[in-house]
Amino acid sequence: MFAYAIRRILATIPVMAIVALFVFSLLYLAPGDPAAIIAGDQATPADVDRIRISLGLDRPFLIRFGEWAWQVLNGDLGVSIFTNLPVTHMISQRIEPTLSLMSLTLIFSISFAIPMGVLAAWKQGAWIDRVVMVVAVLGFSVPVFVVGYILAYAFALQLDWFPVQGYTPISVGILPWFQNLALPSLALGLAFIALLARITRATMLEVLSQDYVRTAKAKGVDQRAILFVHALKNAAVPIVTIIGIGFAGLIGGAVVTESVFAIPGVGRLVVDAILRRDYPVIQGVVLMFSFVYVLVNLAVDLLYTLFDPRIRY
Amino acid sequence: MTSSTLMASGLSVGDVAAAPALPDVLAPRKQRSRIGMFMYRHPTIFVGGLLVALIVAIALLAPLLFTTDPTALAPARRTRAPSAQYWFGTDMLGRDVYSRVLYGSRISLIVGFSVALLASVVGLTIGLLAGFIRILDTVVMRVMDGLQSIPGILLAIALMALTRASVENVIVAIAVTQVPPVSRLVRSVVLSLREQPYVEAAVAAGTRTPIIILKHILPNTLAPVTVQATFICASAMITEATLSFIGAGTPPIIPSWGNIMAEGRALWQVKPYIVFFPAIFLSITVLAVNLLGDGLRDALDPRLAKRI
Repeated sequence: MFAYAIRRILATIPVMAIVALFVFSLLYLAPGDPAAIIAGDQATPADVDRIRISLGLDRPFLIRFGEWAWQVLNGDLGVSIFTNLPVTHMISQRIEPTLSLMSLTLIFSISFAIPMGVLAAWKQGAWIDRVVMVVAVLGFSVPVFVVGYILAYAFALQLDWFPVQGYTPISVGILPWFQNLALPSLALGLAFIALLARITRATMLEVLSQDYVRTAKAKGVDQRAILFVHALKNAAVPIVTIIGIGFAGLIGGAVVTESVFAIPGVGRLVVDAILRRDYPVIQGVVLMFSFVYVLVNLAVDLLYTLFDPRIRY
Repeated sequence: MTSSTLMASGLSVGDVAAAPALPDVLAPRKQRSRIGMFMYRHPTIFVGGLLVALIVAIALLAPLLFTTDPTALAPARRTRAPSAQYWFGTDMLGRDVYSRVLYGSRISLIVGFSVALLASVVGLTIGLLAGFIRILDTVVMRVMDGLQSIPGILLAIALMALTRASVENVIVAIAVTQVPPVSRLVRSVVLSLREQPYVEAAVAAGTRTPIIILKHILPNTLAPVTVQATFICASAMITEATLSFIGAGTPPIIPSWGNIMAEGRALWQVKPYIVFFPAIFLSITVLAVNLLGDGLRDALDPRLAKRI
């Protein structure tokens, strides 16, 4: 178990290195010469060259990548072209809304989708199963910002149950925080709910046809106990895997949801950075989210052994 | 059991003639036409395909469907509500939303189909090569791991930030995010096919590797890749709309569903129809392609269908 964990952790290093190489190439290939921008309009070509050499921009790709990677490892993601602030500082200012949105979405999705999938599998072919499958197909087909607008229109504009947009920090109070985030996290969650409910249903169907489930039924174990203890525990591995893989969609969706609901998070930061062509910020955010995604999937792989002690690699 | 299966099992009708004639318990099977049979067996392919055909027809026939110039500005008639003259209303620059939505279908379809084609062709090539050439396999698959570790939309955003906004660049940026899953799928199919006796026989017979790949392996990868391509088409349409919506996609002068929604965003609380009409069209189109994909998967790849 311990040796497996160590091996699995070590295996993420090359993946992260390749991600870093991609993200670095992004800034390397970005149009516009930073030296020319810093030198300004009045500079002669000789001035630009001097600045380029002083910044080390004339050195080979791999050497610059090495230096940049060393900086990243030391927690330095560079400086924004637009605000001149360190990118890490800008991200840390914006991280709370994004973290709140994603955690609330995860909580919503898991607590809706897993019971939905279990019920659908148990009552296969009944109306509840059909409803779940329709929700699943819709969730895959309706883009997150469309869901966002529909929810905002119905529950914020027409019914006035929730604020239309904005964000209240959790330090102000948990109720206003929740009211602001309820619609965004539902909107963001729908696709995730669809994915999770579908995979839960499929795995549960497989597990429910196993002999030990029939044995449990035969000896009179409570129906709920069979479903949620015997069966769900054995369906956990594929479900957790999908949570890990689906996390990428959640990150992408968060970027859009923040735009729809005017939430000042990391997603807004990257959208604003695109409009300003602020490459260091784009690079920093992409790198951070990719590392988070890799780490989430690492955690998922390590969780396998908890859910299923038979798994040994 | 019908009479035809009785005969197939080797019994002739004469053998059971001594018994009294059985009452016709089973109602005679309704004869369906070939199209009816297809609809019955694959309802999702039929419904999805019909809807996709309808959207394609709308895109092709947009100039004939009572549209006006989708880019014509008319400040005098800004933000009119839907009416007999402007079916979907007008936007803040006085452009006819109905015409813009109809012409916008062209962008979504072009992007969806092109990304599906491009990602499948590139993914097929990489997957076939990686499945056959060991040294390439490790390198290529590590690169794919890395590429797949960057959340798709973020990768597309990053690529779009590098280049000029154009429909071609949107297609390439989205296709790049879809190549890893296709090549992974193809590689896994190739690895299992390589162990098949008929491939081993071909190898033993001295068939050259390119011939084996093209004649024996490639045809067997086409069914799963077609299914995958359909889902890629659906998700590419969503990604295009998303990119355009946040301002990193199709150039704003081209009416695409994402662009129309991006422009309607500032006014959506007072003029929700500008956002809702393209949203409805986009959702229905993606739904249709997804239904088609579900149906194709059930029809072409029963093994996969059972898993999900």
